[in-house]
Amino acid sequence: MTKGIEKLALRQISRRAAILGLAGTAGVLSMPWIARAQAETIRIGFPTPLTGPFAAEANDQVRSAQLAVKLANDKGGIAGRKVELLVRDDKLNAGEAATRTLELIEKDKVHAVVGALSSAVQLAVNEVTRARNMLYISISQSDTINEIKDFSPYTFHEALNPTMTTAVVAKHTFKKGSKVVYLVADYAYGHEMLRGFKRAAKEIGAETVGEILHPFGAADYSTFIPTILSLKPDILCICNFGRDQANSIKQAVDFGVKDMMKIVVPVLLHNQRLAVDPEVFEGVVGGANYYWGLEATVPFAKAFNDAFRAMYKGAIPTDYGAYGYTGVASLLMAIEKVGGTEPQKVIAALETLKYDVAKGEQSYRKCDHQSVQSVLVLESKAKSAMKSDADLFKIIANEPASEGVLRSCSELGFKS
Amino acid sequence: MSIVRDAEIAATPTRGGFATLFSNVNRWRVPLSVLALCILPWILPSQALAVNVLIYGLVAVGYNLLFGYTGLLSFGHAAFFGAGAYATGIAIGAFGVNWFAAMLIGLAVAAVLSVIMGVLAIRTRGIYFSMVTLALSQLVYYSALQASSWTGGENGLRGFTVSVLNFPGFSLNFLDPMIKYYAIMVIVALALWFVSRVLNSPFGAVIEAIRENETRARACGYDVERTKLLSFVLSGILCGLAGTLSAMHLSIVPLDSLHYHTSGLIVMMTLLGGAGSFFGPFVGALAFLSMEDVFSLWTSNWQLIVGVIFILFVLYLPKGIWGTLISWWKSR
Repeated sequence: MTKGIEKLALRQISRRAAILGLAGTAGVLSMPWIARAQAETIRIGFPTPLTGPFAAEANDQVRSAQLAVKLANDKGGIAGRKVELLVRDDKLNAGEAATRTLELIEKDKVHAVVGALSSAVQLAVNEVTRARNMLYISISQSDTINEIKDFSPYTFHEALNPTMTTAVVAKHTFKKGSKVVYLVADYAYGHEMLRGFKRAAKEIGAETVGEILHPFGAADYSTFIPTILSLKPDILCICNFGRDQANSIKQAVDFGVKDMMKIVVPVLLHNQRLAVDPEVFEGVVGGANYYWGLEATVPFAKAFNDAFRAMYKGAIPTDYGAYGYTGVASLLMAIEKVGGTEPQKVIAALETLKYDVAKGEQSYRKCDHQSVQSVLVLESKAKSAMKSDADLFKIIANEPASEGVLRSCSELGFKS
Repeated sequence: MSIVRDAEIAATPTRGGFATLFSNVNRWRVPLSVLALCILPWILPSQALAVNVLIYGLVAVGYNLLFGYTGLLSFGHAAFFGAGAYATGIAIGAFGVNWFAAMLIGLAVAAVLSVIMGVLAIRTRGIYFSMVTLALSQLVYYSALQASSWTGGENGLRGFTVSVLNFPGFSLNFLDPMIKYYAIMVIVALALWFVSRVLNSPFGAVIEAIRENETRARACGYDVERTKLLSFVLSGILCGLAGTLSAMHLSIVPLDSLHYHTSGLIVMMTLLGGAGSFFGPFVGALAFLSMEDVFSLWTSNWQLIVGVIFILFVLYLPKGIWGTLISWWKSR
């Protein structure tokens, strides 16, 4: 009898446990429902090198991207859904970027990825996203990503590419018969810029009298400068990025290079100009995707700058930063247009999208998904000509968007 | 950092419950390690991170064979890791080889490279050994940078995504993170068993003898050079295996995988976990990668935190996480 009671008691406990277990299971089962209700949020992954030599540019990218997301949320979201930006540090390392992107896709279940700030890193992200049918908007300069070998139907390239940048910069700086010496950072970026400049120089009829390679991240350029001076060029074209740009120009100027020739760079960087005195950069000419001074002529640039100033206490957006804004904004416009994040539909929308959010009308070319957009040519101002601390550059030219400065689809390996 | 001596640990006379438990744990170290690896993807923030822990754990275990057990501090193990990765990637991407054959090719290339580097480096000792391995691995780095038509140069190797693992009779979806984890785990588990077997063999005792006293080992009649070379090659092959897994996991091979930063990372993980212990390097990889993952979400100054933690370990827990745990366990 007692045994029976014990048994009953045991059974009662086990029943209680069973109920508890059931409740637990129900709880767990209901979780995905809660998650799904929240899944209305559009999640955008944003890997970018928050640490490392390009941190300044990367932080600007993040701030601009966050602005695009905030503006979308302020007007009630996209297609009735909130937007969330998930920023991750890719440490300027391709392997790290691939891991972060896998995490964003597998764990955070993002709907699209925007970001990266180096050729190698964006190609790594591209490789991961294309195998998983994930939308990716790349916002860093690269020629390789346009070529058919790395093409992914899910990837769009919002940044300028070296070919178009150098074509426009050369058009406004090189002349028939100009003698050009190139000082090139010995890595993908430098080599792609050099290739672009030489291609443009050939068409214009400028002559290459020297090509000098310097290691990535070099601190001392003094050994290269006597060679440059002895070649007596009209133009010194310095193809490097980030801190290398400020360092090399500063040392060239110390040697009096600017008195004898013009210094041209593919991309004139806002943050690098700020890093040194105006005298150093004075008269240096280079390209850009964006400059805040566009607001005098382009209404959307004014709107973008004002929104940026309002969000970041009067700060202004910079060149690479603007990519974060235009990249995210174009993606959100496409998502809004189709009313969802279904990749195939968003791709179709992006391919036909005409968007003007900051710098004039842009569109993605169908074959390689390169953003056809205007290219600015800037000249760094003398200190006396600067109206404010942020008044760094004069816009020499605003070359309108045109496919003419891009490599043709067939040249990139695409059919027709 | 001082080194935990497994042989001694195993020989410790049983003193209490803990020591008995410990010797049992040591006897069952491979199954227990595998058990720990089985639950890893469920407790880490993401499966991608868990796979990285597997890969870097294996690299560190392979490295530990040379550093922790043989006592040779190499600064060039990124070369084997990268060579395995590149060989696998190129085999799949350029020659359309299937994934299993590509892995074998990766292992073979890493083995050949480690024989070459080993023969050249083993002649030197101490800091010179470290410098020779560093120099040779930089040679490999620059070769990969220059041979850009094969390796993709600066942009890294791409275009060899493995999305399905084909076996006779069935196939696995390698894009599914859980399947990917467990598939890679099986290979890592086999490698761990292999390392455990090697350490328990007479060869394992000889390399430890060389670490403790090279002259005496030589006097005992052991061929020190050949043993060192064999240990170097085994260690290189294990790193090469990790490289092939990394290539399949990330579907890219970054040029950075050959950089001396990667070599430094391997040393750091091994030290953090505890050099000279069987599972220590794995714990080091787990700790390092998790810290990096978690802290970099909070702050962009994550390197500062990881650096401080590493310094604290060097100063106060020189046996590393696992090594300290083991000696604490033993002393109970």
